[in-house]
Amino acid sequence: MFYVVMILSLILDLILLYLHIFHYHFSFQYIPEFFALFGLFGCMLLILIAKGLGYFIVTDENYYDRRSRRQ
Amino acid sequence: MVEWIHPGLIIFLGGFLIPFIKPKKLKQAYFLLLPIAGLIILIFTSLGAFGAIPSWPESLHKFNIPFLKYTLTVARINKLSMLFAYVYVIAAFCMNLYALRAKSDWEHVAAMIYVGSALGAIFAGDFFTLFFFLEIMSWAPFFLLLFRGTKRSMGAAIRYILWHHFSGVCVLAGILMHVHQTGSIEFTHMPWGWGGQYLGYYLMLLGFIVNAATAPFHSWLADTYSEASPSGSIYMTAYTTKTAVFCLIITFSGTELLMWMGTITALFAVIMAVLETDGRRMLSYHIISQVGYMVAGTGIGTAMAINGAAAHAFCHIIYKALLYMGAGCPLLVVGTAKFNKLGGLYKYMPFSFWLTIIGGLSISGSPIFSGFISKTMTIEAAELIHRPIIFLMLEGASIGTFLSTTLKLPWNIWLQGKPEPPTEIRNKLKDSAVNTPLHMLIAMGILAFLCLLLGVYPNVLYQMLPYPVEFVPYTATRVFSIIQLFIFTFLGFWILRKMLHGHQTYTLDTDWFVRIPGTWFLRFCKGPLISLGTMLDRNILNLTHSIVASIRNPRLESTMTPRAIGLGIFIILALFSLFLVTKI
Repeated sequence: MFYVVMILSLILDLILLYLHIFHYHFSFQYIPEFFALFGLFGCMLLILIAKGLGYFIVTDENYYDRRSRRQ
Repeated sequence: MVEWIHPGLIIFLGGFLIPFIKPKKLKQAYFLLLPIAGLIILIFTSLGAFGAIPSWPESLHKFNIPFLKYTLTVARINKLSMLFAYVYVIAAFCMNLYALRAKSDWEHVAAMIYVGSALGAIFAGDFFTLFFFLEIMSWAPFFLLLFRGTKRSMGAAIRYILWHHFSGVCVLAGILMHVHQTGSIEFTHMPWGWGGQYLGYYLMLLGFIVNAATAPFHSWLADTYSEASPSGSIYMTAYTTKTAVFCLIITFSGTELLMWMGTITALFAVIMAVLETDGRRMLSYHIISQVGYMVAGTGIGTAMAINGAAAHAFCHIIYKALLYMGAGCPLLVVGTAKFNKLGGLYKYMPFSFWLTIIGGLSISGSPIFSGFISKTMTIEAAELIHRPIIFLMLEGASIGTFLSTTLKLPWNIWLQGKPEPPTEIRNKLKDSAVNTPLHMLIAMGILAFLCLLLGVYPNVLYQMLPYPVEFVPYTATRVFSIIQLFIFTFLGFWILRKMLHGHQTYTLDTDWFVRIPGTWFLRFCKGPLISLGTMLDRNILNLTHSIVASIRNPRLESTMTPRAIGLGIFIILALFSLFLVTKI
């Protein structure tokens, strides 16, 4: 079901783009399937960047409890 | 004829009476009536009962009080302050309904002081009044945190007040320097430029952006909001940050620095939200991100961008309160909002699930929900000034918002593919589909209705905005692009969903710079620095002892007569007098 919607949206994008229904401000938005690619890769990139950052700034869940025990 | 009735003062002072009303029903009715009274005053003001409200940026001045050599303007009514005031009292009503059965009356008092002082700040016409109300506002959440009564919430309260004292001092310093330079205390647009003479304005801006939780000064928000009680935290989501946005719109609209800071905040905060595994902390990051949109709109500064920022503040307060209430439901009923302890709650709390989904679709800006009609305005403003990078970053933040609030949050709390919640959670639930108290569901229902109403009839909101609106949100291009964006975000989520299940963590964020090097510094002080100090101390003492011992002359000591001492003092005084005489 989800895949059907996905493929339909891809086809619809091409058709609407071909019929000049879209009015964008920037030329890169006219790349076919721009928003599909942006959504997919943007989402994956966000998760990967977050995981990468996570190595540096994440500590364990009991950060405060651990500190108060130590004191 | 009454000049005006200040809704903020009614709510502020009325709040103090709550603990003294003893019958429970009467107390609850009174608590709900306070924001309604505020709303009625605002409606009469809109209708022109106290004088017609002129078009933006003109305003109506009330309560001009002489103070020292200045004149305070306690109430300045214009289209922007009315817009914020409306959403403040409407949200306050729903929040009061949600918090109706909070254990402590004093929590209600703190909340009403908070709402009242926020209204005071947005109606302030001069800097002194503004500062007065901002300071009260920074104390109210301190008490909301304190009344939860756990050790962690007390720690959070202290950290909260430290941050807000810092911002308060910055704003005060900025105000004083501005008054010193110009002699005017009017709360209006400030000059901006680069150079030493603008120092006061930099400080003022710093104070406001700390309050608005703009990166890199945002860590206090996620750290503290998630520690308040389920009902207390709802109030905190709305007022501090949005009042700061209001102040920024008035004072620093059109500052390019703000545009970049806001955009970076919007994107950075959604990245941080991906890491979060506690429902309320994750939503806190989304407050930071959404306020980033407003700050960016303020920075762009065109009529459409200011409209967008104001409209987004309006919609944001409503859907964010709804989302926080949604995450507060499991916290209140089963005692936790942590993702690894929940899942499968749908069978027992279906209504709060669907209401939270409406909040999630609103915040991510899906068509027919409220976020769509306000967020697109800011993004369109960025497009119109030809800033492709700002556009891409803001759209990227939309992707992250959809990913976290619409997919990750409801999935982890209510579903996780489990038909039943974990055993220890199940034992705390009744065998019915309504585990959430009814007044909470009604409060959430009203907010969800408003989200849909604004999304379907945007003109309700558009006619209240400061500038005339020439913006049509529903175009084929925009609706199709956003739907396609979200469909493929879902695909990305599905591919990488395993990565989003992590063990429970605590994100330090930019606090890393304070906490980790801070711990190193403390350790350095406790260890090496202290031993260096004691070593120096000991050696200097030894040295002085040996000097004293070597120059002590027992013979001289015995022959020292009062006369000799007197002579010595006389010589010194004479030399000193001579020195003074020659100097003068």
